[in-house]
Amino acid sequence: MIMSRILVVDDESSIRLLYSHELADEGYEIATAANAADAVELLRRDDFDLILLDIKLKNESGLELLQRIVKERHNLPVILCTAFSCYKDDFSAWLADGYVVKSSDLQELKDEIRRVLAKKSSRGPTHKQM
Amino acid sequence: MVWKCCWTTEAVREDECPSIEADEADLYVSLQRRFVAKCIECPRFGEDLDRLSESGHPSAPVLRLLIDEIQRQKTLMNSMAAFLDNMNMEARFLHEIGVVLQTSLGLDEVLSVALTAFTAGKGFGMNRAFLLLADKERRFLRGTLGVGPRDYQEAWEIWDEVSRKDFSLKEMARHFYDMKLSAEKDKFHDILERLTVSLADQSHILNRALLERRPILVEDAPRNPDVDPLLVSILGVDTFLILPLISRNRRIGVILADNFITHRQITPQDVKSMETLTFPVAFAIERAALYERLHEDLRKLTRANTKLLEQQELIVRMEKLALLGKITSSISHSIRNPLMVIGGFARSLLKDIPSDDPKRESLQTIVREARLLEDALDEALAYADSALPALDRWDVNQLVGNVFREVVKNVAGDRMSCILDLSPDLPTIYTDYRQIAYCIKKLLRFNLEMMGTAGELYMGTRLDGECILIEIRFCPEHVHGGDEPVFPGLGEEDGTKGMELSICRVILENYCKSFTVEEYGSNGRRYTLRLPLKKEGT
Repeated sequence: MIMSRILVVDDESSIRLLYSHELADEGYEIATAANAADAVELLRRDDFDLILLDIKLKNESGLELLQRIVKERHNLPVILCTAFSCYKDDFSAWLADGYVVKSSDLQELKDEIRRVLAKKSSRGPTHKQM
Repeated sequence: MVWKCCWTTEAVREDECPSIEADEADLYVSLQRRFVAKCIECPRFGEDLDRLSESGHPSAPVLRLLIDEIQRQKTLMNSMAAFLDNMNMEARFLHEIGVVLQTSLGLDEVLSVALTAFTAGKGFGMNRAFLLLADKERRFLRGTLGVGPRDYQEAWEIWDEVSRKDFSLKEMARHFYDMKLSAEKDKFHDILERLTVSLADQSHILNRALLERRPILVEDAPRNPDVDPLLVSILGVDTFLILPLISRNRRIGVILADNFITHRQITPQDVKSMETLTFPVAFAIERAALYERLHEDLRKLTRANTKLLEQQELIVRMEKLALLGKITSSISHSIRNPLMVIGGFARSLLKDIPSDDPKRESLQTIVREARLLEDALDEALAYADSALPALDRWDVNQLVGNVFREVVKNVAGDRMSCILDLSPDLPTIYTDYRQIAYCIKKLLRFNLEMMGTAGELYMGTRLDGECILIEIRFCPEHVHGGDEPVFPGLGEEDGTKGMELSICRVILENYCKSFTVEEYGSNGRRYTLRLPLKKEGT
């Protein structure tokens, strides 16, 4: 079975750690980035099946990174993670494939990952351009 | 020649002139004044004059001529003095009326003074007076007040009362205003009701008096072609006086005065005097009407001001709440990440711990408490979120359905029957999803809390003319005596709940065409919100 590769982009190290533990338990291969620059670098180097992206990164906007990803890797699905539920107020957020409000219960996140990956597999491979 | 009269004696004694009264003692010592005042009318002097004429004295004819002239002058002077007395009395009366009118601001008070002046014996002594006033739109003259007796019997009773009480004019007007005004309005109701004349009918004699700005004395009314027969039949008299009331070129009304009981003739002098009174009366009526309007405007202004102050307070409160919301959202945001990590790791650890491990309970507690805190944060964020408007076109059914499901899942008791009745194919409306959802959520939560665990909740939507109607009904199951739930209205509650409901009320006032709260069934309540289909201003 091929493991899906997920890139977690969040400026909080403890959240990156939590996602890594929990999602690895679910059988995913996890890479993490603390900021947009690291994320872009990782995307250039490796292939990923999904990105979990925090809307609010330290001193930068996750939505700007989302726009860049969509522009350059338009088939790479992105799930936005946010601590605040009014993310839909920003039109940029509509580009994402899924939204999850951060919660200690990661079940909703896991369900969303499964849904988005299933949708992606029906769409075919992504194109690496970054 | 020895004279019988004392007309040649400078000073006389008391017994020498029988014509001098007790209070005219000075005439005993003044021949000149005594001669003019008494002698020329004294029979003794007449006899002396006859004797003088008979004697052939050359001055006798001249003297008689002089005496005649003196008498004529004296009569003239007496008549002038009487006229001056009358004028003086009238001037004093007009002054008194003027003072009373000046100090009267209420319309009824002014009317009482005016009509009393026309009808009182100490005034112009007319038997009856009717006042017709121009309405606010200046389209009709309408009978407003009538004063006087309806028949002889009542006339005698009134005059008897007046003579017994001996009121001054001012007292009489006050007495009329305090005791008789409303009764008098009722008494002449039938006449006043029929005394309506269009101001556009320029041929009507009442309008003629107004246009010509002069009183008209109508005599032999039934045969007068200028007089409306209806007016004659209403008044029931042949002679009456029409007095126009005009102030600063504005037609205020007319007064009709007649001597319905005594049939006393109305003289030109009466007309002139009464005309003089119409000027201050018209002015006072106009001033009273303006004063009344001023008061009404002031009342409106005060109400508007109060409302404005309330709205300002509410805006300030809402601004504070919005600020509080922003702070809450910022704090919540800062708390959520660490909370998620704590709860998340606790869940993660819990998965690998055997069921008999004593640490399991501690981890479960961490998970539970973290979840509770997250829920509290969600609530706080939702509250902060709702304070800012987010207008767009929304599907009301989606809004109502989402709120219904969320609240029912979390709040409704086990034995609660929850009915969602959404009318299909409703058009979208332009509104603020978050604020309307917030209000409905609050209403549902508060009412469900009141209802307890059993009862029926109905929530439905339907098209209602140019609106979409949202109906929410709460029917609690039978509650034991004395425990009836007190459902919240909007703004009836105190404390935090009251504040939240007040905010709901303001939001609903902003977005709903109407919303009502009413009792439903024996102890339930129904809320009805009408959201307009069309965006306001389009």
